[in-house]
Amino acid sequence: MSPELLRLILDATLDTLHMIAVAGGLGTLLGLPLGVFLATSGKGELFAASAVNAVLGVVVNITRSTPFIILVVAIVPFTRLIAGTSIGTSAAIVPLTVAAIPFIARIVEGAIREVDQGLVEAARAMGATPLQIVSKVLIPEALPAIILGLTLAAVSLIGFSAMVGAVGGGGLGDLGIRYGYQRFMPEVMLIVVAVLVVLVQSVQTIGDRLSRHMNKRIRHI
Amino acid sequence: MNVPLSPSAPAPAEAAALPAVELAGIAKLFPARGESTSVSALRGIDLVVETGKIVGVIGRSGAGKSTLIRLVNGLEIATSGRISLFGRDVTRLSEAEWRSERRNIGMVFQHFNLLSSRTVFDNVALPLEILGTAKAEINRQVTRLLEIVGLSDKRDRYPAELSGGQKQRVGIARALATEPRILLCDEATSALDPETTKSILALLKRVNRELGVTILLITHEIPVIKEICDEVAVLEAGEIIEHGAVFDVLTRPQHPSTARLVEGVTRVEIPEALAARLSPTASPGALAAIRIGFVGENATSPVISRLTTTIGVDVNILTGRIDFIGGRPFGSLIVSVPGAEPAFGAILASLKRLGFEIDPLGFFETEAATSEAPRHVA
Repeated sequence: MSPELLRLILDATLDTLHMIAVAGGLGTLLGLPLGVFLATSGKGELFAASAVNAVLGVVVNITRSTPFIILVVAIVPFTRLIAGTSIGTSAAIVPLTVAAIPFIARIVEGAIREVDQGLVEAARAMGATPLQIVSKVLIPEALPAIILGLTLAAVSLIGFSAMVGAVGGGGLGDLGIRYGYQRFMPEVMLIVVAVLVVLVQSVQTIGDRLSRHMNKRIRHI
Repeated sequence: MNVPLSPSAPAPAEAAALPAVELAGIAKLFPARGESTSVSALRGIDLVVETGKIVGVIGRSGAGKSTLIRLVNGLEIATSGRISLFGRDVTRLSEAEWRSERRNIGMVFQHFNLLSSRTVFDNVALPLEILGTAKAEINRQVTRLLEIVGLSDKRDRYPAELSGGQKQRVGIARALATEPRILLCDEATSALDPETTKSILALLKRVNRELGVTILLITHEIPVIKEICDEVAVLEAGEIIEHGAVFDVLTRPQHPSTARLVEGVTRVEIPEALAARLSPTASPGALAAIRIGFVGENATSPVISRLTTTIGVDVNILTGRIDFIGGRPFGSLIVSVPGAEPAFGAILASLKRLGFEIDPLGFFETEAATSEAPRHVA
């Protein structure tokens, strides 16, 4: 394998990591509070605001049901506004983040809803405010499930990031399409797939370990 | 285990004039939801919990016990009626006002409700963290509480590593963290085995006696009432049908539902083998079975020997049970005495004179008569 090709693969891998790190980070930053709100704003819940809850639910569902490749194209004007361009790695981060937010929000919502309501009642009986209940009870108790969910989100983002290659984003997907497919270099395609597999495997392993470590419901003997 | 609870434990008599909890004319209606109609969970509840007492509310599931206990710390809001804590009307407190009121009211749960992500120490520290207590003070208070409940060696364990009884001890320590004056126990021992139940009840009793904490508990188990309560209220279908000192309610239930509830504790059943042989009429030489109920002081009077000496009859104990509630004995005996008149009438009369509750069960042939009867040989 030529050093040029190796260089290309290394750059593409770094681009992909850059994309999923930024999109995943921003997605968590915005998706986590959104998920917490979705889980606690239903009728009779901590921050009861069922109308807002319903509207946000619909917005989340619309974003989630739009196929990613269509989402990428549909929000090109928005992407230009944010990134100044609609092509390249930085531009690709915008649609990736937009797709990650509702995905992560739903994962967090599910994890929070799994927390035993008895704990919420106990915290209320101690005089905890709704915000204290979220920060001291709901999030810590849901954390192992949230970590697993974020792992799932990261793996999905790796897949999505390969897709943005099709519309001019950088990264491994872009490399695979331009060299492996369009120039018909099967060895490049093979390496790209292999790197993606290693990435997914590593992310999953780290996520599983982290979640297990945080889960104190299991006896660690 | 027997660490002195607190050097500065308030005297239980303090502020005894004002009842810890007073519910007056409480009703709770759960509004209709979807297709289901509205549910009336509680009606016309009047209940006074005197400061320093342990009061139990007993009832079957669905009687409204959980709703009742949650009215006291504002987790449920009454539809109508008035609630006072130590003479202070709390009926119309806002949620924010309730939050600060709740530091005076600890709560213990059936399923413990401990945070799985926190160690024993951090679980007990949680109510103090919520209050914004300083770290050093939290450390001092939690250490003291873990000593009281006997879990000092488990402070860095997680709930998953504890037994049920240990978890409930953490639950009790947590409920006491803010030094509340009232402790609410929501079926605190219902998930525990009888042995563990005993030790948890003993701990609650110490908390009451030594810290002067008033306890309101709900349960569906008579033994819990019998073991630690001073007073009991019987809740049925959202209404209190009976309320009084535990001894009185358990030994002389006024309401038929209460009677059914306490039956297993106070009554002695006739052994099946005997029940099959009982007949309503006396045959010559038959014995009579009588149930004698004992309540209070006369439980210890020498009934058997007195019958034997005064009337000169042989009394044979068939089965029986004597128990104590708050140190006062009660129970019942089933005895056999000669069934022939006039001796039988005299026996009943003298038992009544002695103040016993008498319940003639029937007549039966003696063992001797049965065995002497000619056997049928094929």
